[in-house]
Parts: sequence; structure tokens; C-alpha cells
Amino acid sequence: MSSATAASLPSTLAPLLTAYGPPGREAGVRQALRRLLRGAGSFSEDATGNLHLHAGGGGARLLVTAHMDAPGVIVTKVDPASGLARLGILGGRRAVELIGATVRFEDGRLAIVTADRSAAKDGELDADALSLESGAGKHSSRKGRSSARRATGNGAHGTHLEVGDVAALEDRPSRLGDLWCAANLDNRAGCAALAAALRSARRSRFDVTAVFTAQSDLGSRGATTAAYGIEPEIAIVVDVAHVGDGKETSGFAVGKGPGVALKESGFLAHPEALELVRRAARAAGTPLQYLIRENEGSDARAIRMSRTGVPTAMIAIPARRSGGLWSLVHADDLAQVSQLISAILTLAPKGAGTKTRRSRRGKGGRR
Amino acid sequence: MSAPRFREDLLEALSNAPGVSGGESEVRSIVAQAVRDQVDTLEVDAMGSLVARIAPTSAASAGARANGSGPRGRRGPHVMLCAHMDEVGIMVHGIEKDGRLRIRRVGGIDPRILVGQVFRIGPKGVAGVSGVLPAHLLTKEDEEKVIPYEDLYLDIGAATREEAMKQVAVGEYGVFDTVYEGWGRVRKGKAFDDRIGCAVLASLVQQRPPVPVTAVWSVQEEIGLRGATAAARRVTPDLAIVLEGTAAGDAPGAADEESAPHMGGGPTITIQDRSLMADAKLNGVLTRVAARRKIPTQWKRPGIGGTDAGKIALSGSGVPAAVVSVACRYIHAPAAYLDLRDAQRSVDLVWHALEALRKEWPVS
Repeated sequence: MSSATAASLPSTLAPLLTAYGPPGREAGVRQALRRLLRGAGSFSEDATGNLHLHAGGGGARLLVTAHMDAPGVIVTKVDPASGLARLGILGGRRAVELIGATVRFEDGRLAIVTADRSAAKDGELDADALSLESGAGKHSSRKGRSSARRATGNGAHGTHLEVGDVAALEDRPSRLGDLWCAANLDNRAGCAALAAALRSARRSRFDVTAVFTAQSDLGSRGATTAAYGIEPEIAIVVDVAHVGDGKETSGFAVGKGPGVALKESGFLAHPEALELVRRAARAAGTPLQYLIRENEGSDARAIRMSRTGVPTAMIAIPARRSGGLWSLVHADDLAQVSQLISAILTLAPKGAGTKTRRSRRGKGGRR
Repeated sequence: MSAPRFREDLLEALSNAPGVSGGESEVRSIVAQAVRDQVDTLEVDAMGSLVARIAPTSAASAGARANGSGPRGRRGPHVMLCAHMDEVGIMVHGIEKDGRLRIRRVGGIDPRILVGQVFRIGPKGVAGVSGVLPAHLLTKEDEEKVIPYEDLYLDIGAATREEAMKQVAVGEYGVFDTVYEGWGRVRKGKAFDDRIGCAVLASLVQQRPPVPVTAVWSVQEEIGLRGATAAARRVTPDLAIVLEGTAAGDAPGAADEESAPHMGGGPTITIQDRSLMADAKLNGVLTRVAARRKIPTQWKRPGIGGTDAGKIALSGSGVPAAVVSVACRYIHAPAAYLDLRDAQRSVDLVWHALEALRKEWPVS
């Protein structure tokens, strides 16, 4: 099981990294996941854009999530003369990190992010200082002004941008030794780990629903509505956690294996769920390191607080930031996270989520 | 069927009525009075929101039956239409020994415009002036800076605390002293955010809609989208359209591409704001209907503001939501302007969208 999971990871991760999926526009990732997970269960989508995979199995309702969205940009205004567009950032990226980035719109058009660096204050930049160059302006055509105007008028020009268009970071994943280097690792790495685990672990002792959540970077919106609908008895969230974010005091590091969050912003791991992760790590033979962070969080908070509360644990893939577009994830960490999830899915439930009182109440409350 | 007529008389009454967040009762009475005879049920929920249910026309269901879409006829999706009743304003926070009132803002009023205004306070509508030091007492620095609202006081002409307390009480609200008026197509008034939405919604239910509609006039939007949060949990709609008054950008001096949306430019549709990614499919219905009916529309600049739609979208297992707004100049200020054509076009757009939704929207 373990080796099969690890072997299939590169072929799972690559198409997810390059799939189109900024917050609120996750269609490309949904499509890629449906392809990768064909036959693993029954799919459905909901109003928030979440992709549900009901993998079935007996026992307590287990919700496993990984968010699909990765930061992108949205066109907020277009200057018809220059063709340059102003943008807003969707998700957790700082403006400076985006300078020079190539972005791709859903229909395939490309643009690059340019910056007015003179607007930088203390090395920080506001999104207002960024522009999108898509080649739609008069400078890009020998015919000059008239063609630019035509381009803006009827949209026939391939590079023409409109207010509200959303673009994703164009990813160019590479492998540096044991490290994956890519722009969209947060959280396509989590999606890949979960997808690989779901493919390898068919027979679960839980009633498993995997949800690839939408709009996480806009405030866990997908996780909020998914958890409400599924009403899980226990939940596991898989997400990337960047080393150096939010004052970790726990020595959390890349290359030391899967992390499990003890504390995040607004979230404390539930003891039962935490114990489930610990048991799974022992069963899978993977190391486990602790994540304690103050200022950053994940979908775990929204799920933990859903309805009357859900015992929830958060499994973290350690990552390092480059200061620009790229993040770095250790291939062994990623493989071990996937093995850890596999082990959770196939573990015989003991204690966690199986209290009959909770099960009965949970089922009674469902529509 | 053609869309209902926009009820300007309601807009006038609603704009003139006081209704700061948490104190919406006068506004609620006006709406209830206007829609009572048109809706099937009308109730006030625990938060204070007004909730009206209205079943579709029998003609709509009969037409659907003729189309062969099911034995009982296709009713279409259950649509929640929502507009908030509350406006931004002030609250009396304390009364000084010398009779001056200390105030706090309720909702997002720009502190720059709080100074030198006339407010109407409490149920008696007592006039109060947000006082400033006379020019000869100002220092150079004072002239340059905005007075923080904590330092502002309201003068109702009382000389002592006892005198003031005969007129007003701590906890009472104050609203801008602005009377609805206008000429031509343009109207001036206070609280167009969101009395225009309230009036558009009340106009819409003057006719039986083509789909089942629950109309919600919500409370406490300006202080955290509270009324709609609770209402959506109870209504559990298939989809939602929020009706708003939004800030027009066409102020003098704004560069052309920064000036959207324009007053008079047609209904404004939201793509993304701080609270919501509008449902793309629902926005598609709105823009297709607008094109078919030759209703001009415009996009709200992405990333700005937030509305009840954000909370409705996250209620239950998630609700597809969109926002249709009338672009108003000088919103959240003593007086705003709007163009009556935008009001009628908003009624037209939403009405015809409801017709399209009956046919196009999948219902489970």
C-alpha cells in the first residue's frame, strides 16, 4: 500500500499543480481530480464549488478535506488606452511575491504581473501598485491606437481583459533534488496526498467522504458549507503549512515528516482526532512532528466549529517559502503524509468517532 | 408578463424614515404596510427581519404543466430576495454635565463627514448639531486634522444634563436630517443604502412572481450582516439575490476607468467583494436576461465592500448568491443621489431573471 501510494504521487501532483483553480473558480482542479480519482467513489459538487467524493465504507462518518484553491488575481479595472489592467489579489499572497509572475486566465490567455516599485514602502507593496500586461494595448500593435480600441470594444482580440476576469498563477513545477518546487503547492500538494491515499485505500472502516474544498483562501468558505452538509463525526484536514509562519515554537521543519497541528489560529486539535492521527502514524510507520502556530490557520477551524462541533485534526505538509512565487516541499514528507492518510482511512476505529451516543444523534439530525 | 412598476412613493417614505442598525421598526412598518396584501405570509423573525413568502402565479405553474415538466408543474427554484432595512448612523453614548451628547458611530460612517452635521435623535426626532470649535479657537494643527469621532459631541441646545435628559436618552439613535427630494430623473435622500433595495424588493412583490419567493427585509446589515445570517438559516432557499444600493464611482475627478459603476448606468452586478464570490451561473442568468431585454448593466469593481449575500451564500450547505445594486453617489453620507431609471431597471432585471430561473435553474 505505502509504496504504491508514494509511487503514484508525482503523476498525481503534476496535473494538480498546473490545473486552473483560483479561489471561487476551481473548475480546473475539480476536473483534474475527477480524472485522477475515477472509480474511487461517487462525485458531487455543491453551491460553494466543493468537490465531494463519497468513498463509502462502514462506521462513523469521517470527513477528509484538502482545499483546492490557490491564490490568483482578479481584474478590477482596465485602461482602454494602454491595455493594462489593475488587479486585486485573491487569497493569501503578498503583492511583492507576485511581481513578474505569469498568470493564466480560464480560457488560456496569458498575462504578466508588472509593478511600480517606486510605490513600495518598507519593502512592502500594495496590490494597487501592480498591473497586468496582456499585450492588448496600442504598443503591441503596429496599427496602434485603432486596433487597441477595437480590441477593447468587441473582445475579438485574444488578449483583451475585462473587469472580473480571474487568473491563476501559471505554475512551472520543478524538482530540486528531493524538493518539489512550485507556485501552487499550497494546497495542491494536500490534494495530491489525499487523492493518492483515496486511490490506494478502498476499504475503509469509516464512512468516508473526501471533500476538496473551494474558497479556503477567502475564509474557509467551502469547508464551512461542506461540514454543515455532511455533519461528520470526525474530520481530518490536510493542508500545507509554511515554516516560519506565525511564530512556530515547535521546531516544525521541512524533511521531518508529516506534521499534525496542536494549535493554530482559532483551532485546537481535538484529543480523539489527534489520537487517531497518532495511531495511524504508528501503523504506517511514519514520523510525526507537531505544528504549533499563532497567526496562521486552515480549514480545520471552520470544520471544528461546524454545527455542534466536530472532533477535528489537521495534518500539515511542511513547506518553505522562497520569498517569491515558489514554495518548496520535501518529496518524502509528501509521500509520508499520503501514507498517513491511507492508514487513517483503513484503521480499525477505536474510540474516536465511534461513540454510539454521538453516532445516533448525528444520524438523527440529518435530513 | 411585464415587470411591476417601481414604487417611488415607497422609496420616499423609506428614505425619510429613521432606521439605524438595531432600530429598524419604523422602516419595517412601512414595508409591512406596503406588501401585506400581496404576500401569502408575513412575519417578523427573532432578529427583527421581515420575512414574506409568496407562491408563484397559478399561470406560471399551469404554463409549466403544459411544458410537461412534471405532474404538479414545475415551480422553479425557491428564491430568497433580500434587502437590508438598516442605515448607518450614530448612537447617544453619554450625556455630559453641560448637556452635550457624546456619540458613537453605528456602521461605517466616514469620520470626515461627521462634523457640522444636523442629526435627528430618538423617537422625538430632536435636532442635534455635531459641534466644532469656532474658527478663532482652532490651532493650525486642528485645522488640518479630522476630528476622531470619540472627540465629537452633539449639541441639542441643552445647558445641563438634566435638561438634555428631558429630550434624549443614552442609547437612542441619530440619523442624518435629510429630506427626500429631486427633479428630473435624479433623487436625493438619506439611507439609499439600502432603502432603494427595500423599495425595489417591495415593488417586485406587488405582482405574484413566477417562482416561489421568500422576501427578506433584513436588520443589522451595516454592523456585520447579522439579520440575513439568521434569516438564511430559516429560509433555506435554493438561491438568493440580494438587492442593494452601492457606491457609484463617478465622482468629479475620478479617472474614467476608476469611476464604475455610474449612477444611471443600469443595475450593477457584483462579481467578487470581500464577502462573496458571486455564483457564476446565477450571474450568467442575470447578464443573459439583461442582454435579451436590452437592460444596460455594469459590473461593480471587484474586491470592494460586502453584503448580506456573503452570509447567505455560506448558510447551510451553501447557497448560490448574486447581488444586484443601484449605483448611488455619496453613500454612507448625509445625502446620496440615485437615478430612478436604475431603480426601475433593477425591478425589470430581477423580475425577468425570476422568469428565466423558473425555466433554466435545475431543482433537485
